Amino acid sequence: MEKIYYNNISNFSNFLWGGFLGPRRFVVMSYKFDKVRILVVEDNAPMLDICKSLLLTFGVGEVLSARNGEEGFQIFRKENPDMILADWMMHPTDGISLTRRARNDPASPNPYVPVILMTGFSEKKRVVQARDAGVTEFLVKPFTARDLYKRIAQIIERPRQFVRSEDFFGPDRRRKAVNEYNGPLKRESDGALAIKQKQRMKSASMHLDEIRDKAGLNKGDKFDITDIDFS
Amino acid sequence: MTDNNDHHYNMAPRRKADFHIPPNHLKMKVGYGGLTDNILDKAQALLENNTADFRPLGEMYLDAMMRGVAAVKALPNSTTDDESMISAILFPAMQLKANGGMFHYYLVTQISDRLIQFLEVIDEIDPDAIEIMQAFHTTIRAILLGQIKGDGGQRGSELMKALVDACYRYFEKHPEKKTS
Repeated sequence: MEKIYYNNISNFSNFLWGGFLGPRRFVVMSYKFDKVRILVVEDNAPMLDICKSLLLTFGVGEVLSARNGEEGFQIFRKENPDMILADWMMHPTDGISLTRRARNDPASPNPYVPVILMTGFSEKKRVVQARDAGVTEFLVKPFTARDLYKRIAQIIERPRQFVRSEDFFGPDRRRKAVNEYNGPLKRESDGALAIKQKQRMKSASMHLDEIRDKAGLNKGDKFDITDIDFS
Repeated sequence: MTDNNDHHYNMAPRRKADFHIPPNHLKMKVGYGGLTDNILDKAQALLENNTADFRPLGEMYLDAMMRGVAAVKALPNSTTDDESMISAILFPAMQLKANGGMFHYYLVTQISDRLIQFLEVIDEIDPDAIEIMQAFHTTIRAILLGQIKGDGGQRGSELMKALVDACYRYFEKHPEKKTS
């Protein structure tokens, strides 16, 4: 039987329950993309063709296309697609500006539209720049068919809540679960979280002190944890 | 412990943020499951078998890069806006990195990636940096003219090593230019 890429537990349990009902009633479900419409915005014609073909192979019902951010926004306004797949570098309007308009322009038909930004940049500062513009997913070129599929599946299975603050509207930039987040706490609602974070830091610091005591080291001494005998 | 204790003196004041959970229309449309290996393999085969010729595009990006280099060379040092000049070279390099590998020129992607790393680190352009950029440009052009697809094998590794060594030599000569 063909392997299916399960994206969450409930899908996997559907698979298992199908198994319990007996081999003849074994049901494997897969995504039906036929009702989905995706707008691809890319100024490089061969690349635009590749993206369209990939999406059509995935079974996407309709792939709309535009050659730059300006044209892309006009089509987005008119057609209101379910998702936008845009290149970063385009003239006269790039993928970042298109994302900002989709999120903030009063003429935008859906400010929550998922945007996947394609780019050759992979440096952290570029990812942060895209994230701050309201991009939902970042796809580094060159990519494989599975890379593109994973971004789409992520949008479907793990949609992010949206945040509106004085200077930002877009998908929550804190991707990881709250108790894993270690970045700056800038939201008013972060008070309790900040206390928890501080407690974790304190506990980690105490643990380090304990290790140093056992190893006979002074505060500030550097050590390699693999060299310490804890027996 | 108060809220103020958690606030760094240099931190922007905490902001009010509203949260919205938009309806997941996509999930409603696509249902459950995923895509089969068969579909993903078909899509990957489509990528691997595409016959679009990357060379005209590659040449276009190389020309743009060369215009950037020429603009830098034409300006006296005192008037050079380094950040915008680096961008004029960085953006075509990024396009080469992004698109080379999509059209089977993985060596172009690898070499352009190295050039991007170099450009992202230097914050000033000097004659030695220009020489390095030109070396990258010449090498990528040779790969396109020679239609060297894939990673270029042994020859590809040698080209790559020569360029990486040139970058190392640059930073040995100009340690102050290494910003990170």
